[in-house]
Amino acid sequence: MALTISEANLRLLIDLLIGAGKRVIGPKRVGEMTVYEPLLSGADLSPGTLPRRSAKEAFFPLSETILTYEKDKEGLKVTDVDTATFPETVLVGALPCDAAAPQVMDAVFSWDYKDEFYLERRRRTTIIGLSCTSADDSCFCTLVGLSPTETKGSDLFLTPLVGGGYSCQSISDRGGELLANYPHLFSETASVTPLPPARPEGGPVDLAKVKGWLEEHFEDEIWEEVADRCIGCGACAFLCPACHCFDIVDEGTEAKGVRRKNWDACAFGKFTNHASGHNPRDLQNKRYRNRFMHKFKYYDDKFGKTLCTGCGRCIRSCPVGIDIKGILEEIQKR
Amino acid sequence: MNSTEKLQPAVIIDTSGYAAAGEEIRKEAARLLEQKIVDAVVGYQAGRRTGSSQPVVITDPAQAEKLVFSPTCVNNLSLYLTKAKKEIRAKGKLAVVAKGCDLRALAGLMGESQLKREELVIIGVVCAGVHAAGVASGEPLTDATIAKKCRECSVHIPEGADLIVGKLPELPNLSPTEKELLDKLDAMTPAGRWSYWKEQFTRCIRCLACRQVCPFCYCEQCLCDRGRPQAVDTSPRPAGNMGWHIVRAMHLAGRCVGCAECERVCPMDIPLNLLNRKMAQELKGLYGHEAGLTPTEKGPLTSYDEKDDQSFIK
Repeated sequence: MALTISEANLRLLIDLLIGAGKRVIGPKRVGEMTVYEPLLSGADLSPGTLPRRSAKEAFFPLSETILTYEKDKEGLKVTDVDTATFPETVLVGALPCDAAAPQVMDAVFSWDYKDEFYLERRRRTTIIGLSCTSADDSCFCTLVGLSPTETKGSDLFLTPLVGGGYSCQSISDRGGELLANYPHLFSETASVTPLPPARPEGGPVDLAKVKGWLEEHFEDEIWEEVADRCIGCGACAFLCPACHCFDIVDEGTEAKGVRRKNWDACAFGKFTNHASGHNPRDLQNKRYRNRFMHKFKYYDDKFGKTLCTGCGRCIRSCPVGIDIKGILEEIQKR
Repeated sequence: MNSTEKLQPAVIIDTSGYAAAGEEIRKEAARLLEQKIVDAVVGYQAGRRTGSSQPVVITDPAQAEKLVFSPTCVNNLSLYLTKAKKEIRAKGKLAVVAKGCDLRALAGLMGESQLKREELVIIGVVCAGVHAAGVASGEPLTDATIAKKCRECSVHIPEGADLIVGKLPELPNLSPTEKELLDKLDAMTPAGRWSYWKEQFTRCIRCLACRQVCPFCYCEQCLCDRGRPQAVDTSPRPAGNMGWHIVRAMHLAGRCVGCAECERVCPMDIPLNLLNRKMAQELKGLYGHEAGLTPTEKGPLTSYDEKDDQSFIK
């Protein structure tokens, strides 16, 4: 026996969640592109294609206000953002490489400083993950310890079935709550055949070995070889489900304005520019080396996790063909 | 692609000569490096993914065998010769592989005193077209997979290069999809155009790939990165996004040569080349100027002539 939900009932579930006042984010077609966006109804859901941008925006928006200020004769008035106003959210149809990423980012956002903007959104979000059935030559979840059927990070996990509909697996209490709240939408089915999962090319990489190699090769020709071509844009970091660097800017006038937290990227030349004018990462290949080291060494040193889920977006979006999968395989061989 | 499109057989564009062009590039690169005519060659090499390619800088004649030419050689390599890529310039005298469209950028950069012709060896490659953004690297070049800019290309043969490799095949007649879109925008009311661009720019995430890939965005201090005073909001929000793209279009007016790299690399599929192309149209109308045709030009917006139209001063 397997617990299942039909395609129509999944869409109905979305309608009911929206009706109950929740923000439901899921893959949606916008023009020629699929993106994770708030769905207006269940009909909006366009599952199964990896959206152009990752799902991290549900917790870590591209740009968010963190305070507002106003100055008048009486003085300066600063108003904090009330995190209690953040919407209860359900992220639906997140593929395993997107669903697994927030757990990785939780570590840094709840480290020495508790980032309430991120953490409160996380607390208010339930993730309905979706097993992945199609991979391209940029996909590499299987190289970094995940898989197209990985349930990590999901509260409820859906597996598409031959003939339509999904089997459902409750992964956490939150997933269980969803099942308990909408029991009429789910049914017990005697026998189910899942669609064959995606098969990304390439076997697992020994991440401990890669990390060991990186420890010995901070200075190495490989960085020039792979990254002299890097042009220093933020496409890789901005599309990445796990990159989490941000910048804080004040925008407005002297009398009135807002402080915002915006995505930042280590490929940007200004990222490490000191006020003195000195820039310790003065060349582009050093910036790329940092990106790679952060994903496969520094983050592991600090939090015991790899900062990459193998979604391949950085490969697809790189203007100059930098290929993190190829680099991992190359280092594995060394 | 919808089902009706699938029924139309694709018009194949003959790229059978690309392999031979690659062979000639490899020979020439090896010769230039062996004879120490140049210190480095900027070209394309194959990537890991089937059919893919990526920019590469080689300094050793033995590495010349890596060089290729294929429909995935989309990059405008002139970017690597600008002062935005100091580490490449530091290698010494450079040779570069250039398609006709890339050659126009080189000419423009020479006109702006960013490059000296005599310090550069240009290996020109005859090009029938390259892939559009988002096309899987293993796909053949067809009317469905070719880049928009290539549909209206007038510089298949890179005249003025030191060596021209490859042969031009017979080319099918392709409809000018970009021009058609531009005409459609031109026919709109200003309010209609404004809402079109507003909608396009809502997708902008300010990754700055458009700026970083542009051979003409070589400023060491971009106005739009300035914090004190701030010219344009850096937040990826409507005001700053609109500001950023308009500033960029203005700064490129009379300079952009239409390589369309900004549009190719935009991860959010914003049709940026339409803006540049519109500006180029304006400049042609006002000053009879086209960027990147000769390396000795001074752009109309960077020079002064008493005969210039003064009628806008009222």
